[in-house]
Amino acid sequence: MTEFAAYTIIGLSLGGIFSLAALGIVLIYRTTGVLNFAHGAMGMFSTFVAWQVFYGVSHPFWPAWLATLLAVIAGLTFAAVMGLVLELAVFRWVRTREPVVKAVITIGVLLALQSAASLIWKNNQYHLPLYLAPQTATIQVADVPIGANYIVIVVAALGLAFGLGAFLRYTSFGRAMRAVSDSPTSASLWGVPVNRVSAVSWMLGSLVAALAGILITPFINFDTTSLTLLIIDALAAALIGGLVSLPLTVLGGFLLGLLETYPTIWIQSLGFPRLVSLLVILVVLIVRNPRGFAVAAK
Amino acid sequence: MTSRLAFRILLALVAFAVLARIPVGFDVGFKFDAALAVIWAFGLLSLVLLTGYVGQISLCQATFAGVGAYGAGMMVSSLHADYAVAVIAGVAAAFVLGVLVGLPALRLRGITLAIVTLGIALVFERYVFQDHAFEWFTGGSGGWRIDHATLFGLQMDSSTHLMGAYVVLLGLFLAVALLMVNLHDSGAGRRFRAIRDSEVAATTMGVNLTRYKLLAFGMSAAIAGLGGAFYPLVAGSVSPQPFWLFTSLQFAAIAVLMGVRYVPAAALGGVFMAVVPDVLTRFGHGTFMGHAYEISYDWFQIAVGVLLIVQLIVLPDGVWGDLRSRAARIWSAAAFLGARRVKVA
Repeated sequence: MTEFAAYTIIGLSLGGIFSLAALGIVLIYRTTGVLNFAHGAMGMFSTFVAWQVFYGVSHPFWPAWLATLLAVIAGLTFAAVMGLVLELAVFRWVRTREPVVKAVITIGVLLALQSAASLIWKNNQYHLPLYLAPQTATIQVADVPIGANYIVIVVAALGLAFGLGAFLRYTSFGRAMRAVSDSPTSASLWGVPVNRVSAVSWMLGSLVAALAGILITPFINFDTTSLTLLIIDALAAALIGGLVSLPLTVLGGFLLGLLETYPTIWIQSLGFPRLVSLLVILVVLIVRNPRGFAVAAK
Repeated sequence: MTSRLAFRILLALVAFAVLARIPVGFDVGFKFDAALAVIWAFGLLSLVLLTGYVGQISLCQATFAGVGAYGAGMMVSSLHADYAVAVIAGVAAAFVLGVLVGLPALRLRGITLAIVTLGIALVFERYVFQDHAFEWFTGGSGGWRIDHATLFGLQMDSSTHLMGAYVVLLGLFLAVALLMVNLHDSGAGRRFRAIRDSEVAATTMGVNLTRYKLLAFGMSAAIAGLGGAFYPLVAGSVSPQPFWLFTSLQFAAIAVLMGVRYVPAAALGGVFMAVVPDVLTRFGHGTFMGHAYEISYDWFQIAVGVLLIVQLIVLPDGVWGDLRSRAARIWSAAAFLGARRVKVA
C-alpha cells in the first residue's frame, strides 16, 4: 500500500510538471489562435538563460536566495523579451493565415531555438537547483513525506489556472485578448489595439513557459531536448482540457502523470510513458472530439 | 498527353545520366552524402504526396523511413534474405504502419493530426526503436550491421561500392518521382486533390474518403520506407538517431520550405538536407581575423528553422513553387515586351 502511495506521489509530481507546461499552450492558443509546438523549446531556452545567470553571473559568496532571485528574474525577463520578439518578427505577419500554417511556423521556431540552445549549452545533462521553498522542508501526507517545493508546483499550477482563467474572463484586457484571437479584424473595428494586445499575449505565454521550466528544473536533470520534447505530454494534458479550459488542463496534467507512472510498477521501460501519452491523445481526440477542436481542425 | 509523358521519361533519363556521374570524382564522404540525399529525398517526396496532393499533415515521416530501414535490416541480418526481398519487406512494413497511422486521420484534420503524428514519432523514437521488447525488430542497441549486397547486378556496400547503392537509389527515385508526376493528373490524383481542397465536397462527388485517405497514408509511408530501406546498406548499420523526431520535423520543415506541392522540390530538399550540413562541418572551421570559429551541425538546423519562418511569410508556395511562378511571369512579360510575334506558351 505504501508502494502504491509512493507511486501516486511520483505520478502527481510528474502531473504537476505536465500541468504547468500545458497551461501555457492553452493560454497561447486561446489568446492568439496559434497551437504552439515551440512552447517546450521556449521554456527550455529561458530556463537555460536562468541556469547561465545562476552559475555564470552570480558570485559564489552571494547568499543562495540572491542568486536564485537573480536567475528567476533573468529567466522571466528573457522570456518576456523573446515573446515580444516572436510576435513582432514572426506572428504579426501571419495573423490572418490558416491555423495550420501558424502551427508549422512554430515548428520552425522549435527547430531554431532547440539548435541554438544545443549550440550554446551542448548536449550535456544540467541541473538547476532553484528552490523557491526551503529545500529539505517536507509535509507528511498519509505517511509519505512530500517536499515543500513540490507543493509550490501544485499551488503554482492551480493558481495560474484559476488566475489566468479569471483574467481572461473578467478583465477587459483578457476579453480583448480573446477577441483578437477570434477575429483580429472585428476586434480592431471595436477599437481594440490589436498589435499591442497580441504582443502582450505572446509575452504572457512565453512568461508562463519560462515559469514552468524554472519551477520544474529542481526535480529533474534536463538537457536541451528533454524540455523541448515535454511538449507532447503537455499537448496531451492540454487536449484533455479541450485546448480551452485551464482548470481542466491542470486536472488533465495530473491524470496523465498518474497514468504514466502506474504502469512503471510492472513495466520497466523508459519509453513506455510516451506510448501512454499518445494513447491519451488518441482517446481524447477520437472519442471526445469536443467543439473546441472545430477551431483547431480548420 | 503521350508526347508529354515521353518528354517526362526523356527528362528522367537525362537526369539519371547526369546525376549518376556527379559524385564519381569525390571522396567516400561525399558519395555517402549523395546516397543520403536520395534517401532524404524519398522522405520529402512522401510528403509531396501526403501533404502536397492530399493535404494531410504528418510529423512522423522519418518514423516510416526508420521502419523501412529496420525492416530491411532485420530481413538481411536475422532472416538472411536477399536485399531485394529485404527492401520489399521494409517497404511493406512501412506501408502497413502508414495505413495504421491513417486510421486516426480519418477523424482528424490539420493541427490535431499534427499532434497525433508527433506523438507517434516520439513513441517510435523513444520506445519501439530503443526498447528491449522490440529487439527482434531493431537488433538491440547496436542495431543491424550490413556489409554488402548485390542488386540488379551492382555491387553495393558502405565504402568502396557506395556508388552502386547511389545509382540504384537514384534510378528508383526517378522512377517513383515520374510516377508521382503522372499520379497528379490521373484519376486517383484528382481524387486526392479533391480531398485536399474539401473533404465534404469530395465525398459528395462520390470519392471514397476512407479508401483514398488510407491509400495516401500507406503509399506515402511506403515511399519514405523505400528510401529508408537502403539506409542500413549505405551507412553500414542502422541506429535510432537518424530517424528520431527531429528528422521528422526537418522533413516537414524542408518539404514546406522547398515547396510541398512540387516533385522536383523534394529532390532539391534532399540535396539541401544531406549535403549542406556535411559541407558546413567540413569547411566551416578555421580562423577569421584571428578568431577561431567552427560551424557545427546545429547551425544547419537553426537555418532550417529561420528559413522556414521567412519562407512561410514571404514565399507561401515554397522556394520551388514561388520561384517557378515568378520565372514564368518574368518570361511571359519579357516575351510580350520583346516581340509581339513570340507565341507565349
